[in-house]
Amino acid sequence: MTELLSANMAPLMFASLVVFLLVGFPVAFSLGACGLFFSLVGIEIGLLPASLMQALPLRIFGIMQNDTLLAIPFFTFMGLILERSGMAEELLDTIGQLFGPVRGGLAYAVIFVGAMLAATTGVVAASVISMGLISLPIMLRYGYDRRLAAGVIAASGTLAQIIPPSLVLIVLADQLGQSVGDLYQGALVPSLMLTGLYVVYVAVVSVVRPQWVPALPPEARTFGRSPLRDGSAAGWGPGIAVTWRVARVMVPPLVLIFLVLGTIFLGIATPTEGGAMGAVGALVIAVINRRFSLSLLRQAMESTARLSCFVMFILIGSTVFSLAFQSVDGHKWVEHLLTSLPGGVMGFLIVVNVMIFLLAFFLDFFELAFIVVPLLAPVAVALGVDLVWFGVLLAVNMQTSFMHPPFGFALFYLRSVAPEIEYEDSVTGKKIAPVTIGQIYRGAIPFVLIQLVMVAMIISFPGLVSRPDDMAASVDPDAALRQMQDGAQAADAAAEAEVEDPMKAMQQSIEADRQKAPE
Amino acid sequence: MIGLSRLIDGLSAAVGRWVSWLVLASVLISAGNAVVRKISDNSSNALLEAQWYLFAAVFLLASGRTLLTQDHVRIDVLSSRFSKRTQVWIEVFGLLFFLLPLVAVVIVLSWPLVVGAFVSGEMSSNAGGLVRWPVMALLPLGFGLLGLQGLSELIKCVGYLRGVLPEPSGIRGQGSSAAKAKP
Repeated sequence: MTELLSANMAPLMFASLVVFLLVGFPVAFSLGACGLFFSLVGIEIGLLPASLMQALPLRIFGIMQNDTLLAIPFFTFMGLILERSGMAEELLDTIGQLFGPVRGGLAYAVIFVGAMLAATTGVVAASVISMGLISLPIMLRYGYDRRLAAGVIAASGTLAQIIPPSLVLIVLADQLGQSVGDLYQGALVPSLMLTGLYVVYVAVVSVVRPQWVPALPPEARTFGRSPLRDGSAAGWGPGIAVTWRVARVMVPPLVLIFLVLGTIFLGIATPTEGGAMGAVGALVIAVINRRFSLSLLRQAMESTARLSCFVMFILIGSTVFSLAFQSVDGHKWVEHLLTSLPGGVMGFLIVVNVMIFLLAFFLDFFELAFIVVPLLAPVAVALGVDLVWFGVLLAVNMQTSFMHPPFGFALFYLRSVAPEIEYEDSVTGKKIAPVTIGQIYRGAIPFVLIQLVMVAMIISFPGLVSRPDDMAASVDPDAALRQMQDGAQAADAAAEAEVEDPMKAMQQSIEADRQKAPE
Repeated sequence: MIGLSRLIDGLSAAVGRWVSWLVLASVLISAGNAVVRKISDNSSNALLEAQWYLFAAVFLLASGRTLLTQDHVRIDVLSSRFSKRTQVWIEVFGLLFFLLPLVAVVIVLSWPLVVGAFVSGEMSSNAGGLVRWPVMALLPLGFGLLGLQGLSELIKCVGYLRGVLPEPSGIRGQGSSAAKAKP
């Protein structure tokens, strides 16, 4: 019995993990409990050394010292400040007016604003909620197809997860041991293509089903919802007024984000520093726009603290799990499973992507990144897959976890702000039926499919994910900077290795123990 | 008991509110340090380390409140289909066998390290770095708060099961995905 147990510890642990997670208790603690339970069982049957758990506090200290993850609160804070200082509203209002006269214009506006918000904030919830509150009623008012309206809002909101600076990419960079800057750079082209594909989809719909995406009627083509307040622009023609407003709204956040991403790409600032500078910049913009207030600051800080806390606790939980899982050679078991797949690298990629896609129905990306990715990374290395490319591929795939019916978070966020009962439209006085959850689900499906198309494209054309090497070949000063950065990273890696040392000692002692007691 | 639970809730909320200011502090220190590094080409290890000290304080000390406000993500594909009582029983089970043992193990294992670091006055290995024990102490402290909040949640659940208290708000809280799935 003990023999059987110790031989199959890894698969058993993995199966139990699924059960532990499905219990419905917070993921962070279920993960930890699963690891703890199997550590105790392992120690009890003599498979693991009694000192195994001693490594746990050291590992958690390692997490606390992690410089990469420090970028999470900074970018979150920056995003929340920008979001809450009215940027989303202004953008939607002006760009909606700009595109409104075109068929499908409101949908294009949502995609465009979604991408803009994504580039500045990286917080899905905030994007979806503000677009759901502002754009959805307008789209319903002018007779947009409900499914399309809901789908385009939810999907555009999830762009925040793939367009740099995104939190997913920070976490993936950390888990894959790559630099955040490289992942940001790699994700740039695929994320813009994805945005393009959304636009193409709306364009196709506007040709095939024009009644789904009507143009705004002439009477709605004014800045009616919130009249122009800019005295400076009042005397000019409406065209100039619109341009002025668009510029005033868009330029400050865009400049900010170009500065932040630019300095990160050029290696002038680390992502952590970039995030911090961006956050200060966001505060400055909020003050200039006279949106800054103590309650804004407090809300942003508290949301940041909450998000950081739940993310970091999932990481702590998964550390407890992986401590036990690695001790029973679980990573070797997974590696063996995945390297023995037929079809070599392609087989691995297909299986991994199908698996992530299916898991994304139940897990959100933080869980996927912390539980699944560490298992996949060594296999990818063994198969010679470039980890930056792999990370971007996974990020595009994981983005579906926000859109999957029935548990995608973007869909819940949208649900929480979509009208639940029939209401009378304030402008037209028409009765507007509520948006049902079924409509939201059906609206999301085309976008999930688009996501899969993008995954397939990244696999077929790996060149879409640009690598620093390509850039280095053409731009010399860039290369020099990068080398400096790499040097710094090597130093970091060395420091990390030092932290990991007790762990290595631990594993050696486990090996030794096992050899001592082969019977 | 109910009074104790209220007291803990109040403590968690207060600590959570207080530590969120450290987010701002961390942002300002990091940005300031980055600017200084660019201008004068020397950066202070103490300030670099202060960033992660502060971030560690934020996420560890806010853990109690995050549990209170139910912002820890759950997978309740299954559990959301159960009756309210069953869900509360699951919560009791989870608190007793998942959360509290984890908290106990982390506190017990990290405490000797903190004491050791305090006694030896261990410093960061970086030149001009900070003294280590305060950040190490955050670990048992944060998990202690988490454990206390777990106790409070437990009291609320048991109170509900015995019919003394209204249903715990947390079971289908904001952080839970099923909460949002329910139309």
